[in-house]
Amino acid sequence: MIALLLAVPALTGCWDRLEIEDRAVVLGISVDTVPSAGERSEQEITHLSGSYPAPGGTRVRVGVQIALPGRIPLGPGEGGGGGQGPSAKTVWVVDAVGETLDDALMNLQQQISGRLFYGHLRVIVVSEALARQGLENMNDYFRRNSEIRRMAWMMVSSGPALDLMKASPELERVPTLYLMSTMDSAVRMGKFPVNYVGMFWSQSSKRGQEGFLPYVEVKKEQNVEIKGLAYFKNDRMVGFTKPFEIAAYMVVKGLNPAGYRAFVRLGDPERTVMVYATSRRSKIRVSIRNGVPHFHVDIFTELNLEEKVSNELTVNRSEILREIGRQNEKSISIAAEQLIEKTKKNNSDIFGFGEYVRAKVPGYWRKHVRTKENWQKIYPTIQVDLHVHSSIRRIGMKAK
Amino acid sequence: MTSTRQITTMQAAAVLISTIIGVGVLPLPLFAVHTAESGAPLVTFISMLIALVGTILLALLGMRFPDQTIIEYSGSIIGKWPARIGSAMIIAFFAVLTSLTAREFGEVVITAVLQRTPVEVTVIVMLSLAAISSRKDIATFGYIHFFYFPLLLGPVLLIATLSLKNADALNLLPIWGNGNIGIKATIDGILTIASLFQSSFVLTIVIPAMRRPRKALKAAVWGVLISGGLYIIIVIANVSVFGAEETKNLLWPTLELAKATSLPANVLERLDAAFLAVWVTAVFTTLFSTYALTTRELANLFRLRDHGALCFFLLPFVFFLAMLPQNILNMYEVIRNVGQVGLCITIGYPALLLAVAVLRGKRGDRP
Repeated sequence: MIALLLAVPALTGCWDRLEIEDRAVVLGISVDTVPSAGERSEQEITHLSGSYPAPGGTRVRVGVQIALPGRIPLGPGEGGGGGQGPSAKTVWVVDAVGETLDDALMNLQQQISGRLFYGHLRVIVVSEALARQGLENMNDYFRRNSEIRRMAWMMVSSGPALDLMKASPELERVPTLYLMSTMDSAVRMGKFPVNYVGMFWSQSSKRGQEGFLPYVEVKKEQNVEIKGLAYFKNDRMVGFTKPFEIAAYMVVKGLNPAGYRAFVRLGDPERTVMVYATSRRSKIRVSIRNGVPHFHVDIFTELNLEEKVSNELTVNRSEILREIGRQNEKSISIAAEQLIEKTKKNNSDIFGFGEYVRAKVPGYWRKHVRTKENWQKIYPTIQVDLHVHSSIRRIGMKAK
Repeated sequence: MTSTRQITTMQAAAVLISTIIGVGVLPLPLFAVHTAESGAPLVTFISMLIALVGTILLALLGMRFPDQTIIEYSGSIIGKWPARIGSAMIIAFFAVLTSLTAREFGEVVITAVLQRTPVEVTVIVMLSLAAISSRKDIATFGYIHFFYFPLLLGPVLLIATLSLKNADALNLLPIWGNGNIGIKATIDGILTIASLFQSSFVLTIVIPAMRRPRKALKAAVWGVLISGGLYIIIVIANVSVFGAEETKNLLWPTLELAKATSLPANVLERLDAAFLAVWVTAVFTTLFSTYALTTRELANLFRLRDHGALCFFLLPFVFFLAMLPQNILNMYEVIRNVGQVGLCITIGYPALLLAVAVLRGKRGDRP
């Protein structure tokens, strides 16, 4: 009897029932800085002068892309909701300004009927300006929120982040899904290492490593270009690389699949060929020489030949392929060294060399490093030896 | 006689495994990295050894007195009154442990899943389930555990295996940690992790119902080794995927791991819902054991013939205890402290009893 009575509250209802029409399913979030010149015209929604003081500092403009119920095409064959054509809107983009991320989201919530629901959040875009000021507040909010998944992509946009929310590329009916598939296929084609937001967080947390994010830009057809790696020091973006340096990064880390193409010039400009990396391996060894961590990186890349500039060069002997391979070895070493130098200048060890020291030479780490700040200071002094070996395996369907 | 001695050795081991694996699975990696950073798997192993010693002591005691539980035989070992104090402490401790487990469960549910369901409701539902099940006899107790334990092992192993895709062995080196954590904090942490095993005390009510009490030692060793092995696997999976530093940022790393792990071929993009379903079962079996232990021993202490009525009588008290911690951080402080004190009761007290029993030559297994 008592048991039955106790069971009643559990059976009568479901506290957390939330119909799908009552949810505002957020697919993407953009976060921008707001120029501080503008006067504070914002409503007092999460703060009240006097009792709940706002933190001050820079304010952010948050844009969300909300899926419109019933408009999202469920399969390839389904029409876009009553024959409105592919350009029919599937999402609704709204934005609001706030003191912090949560404040801005709450300001948005105040304007939207459905409860903002982040369980399907796939892409988070931050503007470069904000990333350079630091993402501590954002990372904290997203880690704390139990609905956010670690498999979402976070990216840094060179222009306003809101533009990426508003962009509506033709290829995919849901803009955020286009952004996501841009990144996912870049990973499959070897254009970018897998780097979900959860991985970025893990890397940034490590004492001997810094995080990086994709650096993107909206092009004129509202397509999105991956411009490089935005690399961080702690939670603050300190620089970005060129697109080809993504390849250099992946070479040093030995990440597969490989997908970058590169010109290899054998002397004369007419004797230039385009090669295509197919797979790589790398092995990083660390030793301490004269009190400085010394890294020995053995890299092996496998290439295919993809195009030739002119008929000056005849590719019909394996000798030539070996020569191209040797030239590629030189080029890739220079590219990788330049990237390492660049990150050293900003004390941003995106390769995680420090983690090798921490893991493999704990004695040195204990005595000289211990903290993330110390490793940031030591990183510019480390020495990296690259030993590259490249082999060309195939030349396509043409015989010479 | 045949009707009361029904639990096989396998069932006894299964009882131990499903009892030990419980609510602690979620925060365990956090405790472990706070103890030794990348040395987390090693400290989990050490904690398992401590727990193993405790459980072996209990098994040895149980084998000396194969027809009695600890409440009954402690009287004949150290005398009536000291034994009563010891027994009261055990009962009080397991009542507290039950309430804390229920509360921790409630906190996870309200934070991660059902955010608008009052925590009181989840706690009372779970406790009622345990209370209703505890009324049944010990054979049913064995069957329920035996039925659930493959359901606990399988999914956790699956998540650990799938997550290895994102693992980096570098995160696990050096295996003894980087020495950033003082010796005091390390010992503290090892004891906290060892305390996650202490519901293995349930062995004391299982032995009198075992078909062959001689095999209790075997069941105890297997029970602790398998559940400990699973704990180590969980810690390895978490630390190798997230790294020690990121694990420190996560309140429930294992839940986060389930969130970050997907079944191949996009069958399920995140496994946290599936994992939580399994975990509810794991919490239930733990609560079931500790609650049954509390009520049975209480009945033994007062020499009641049946413990059935006590099951519901105790419920409000346990519920009240569960509601005492003020907030989630306070709750974990309480859990750590209670856990460490509990080690004196679940390992120290049996050790004392065994030592005295050996010295005084007390046995209950031959007339």
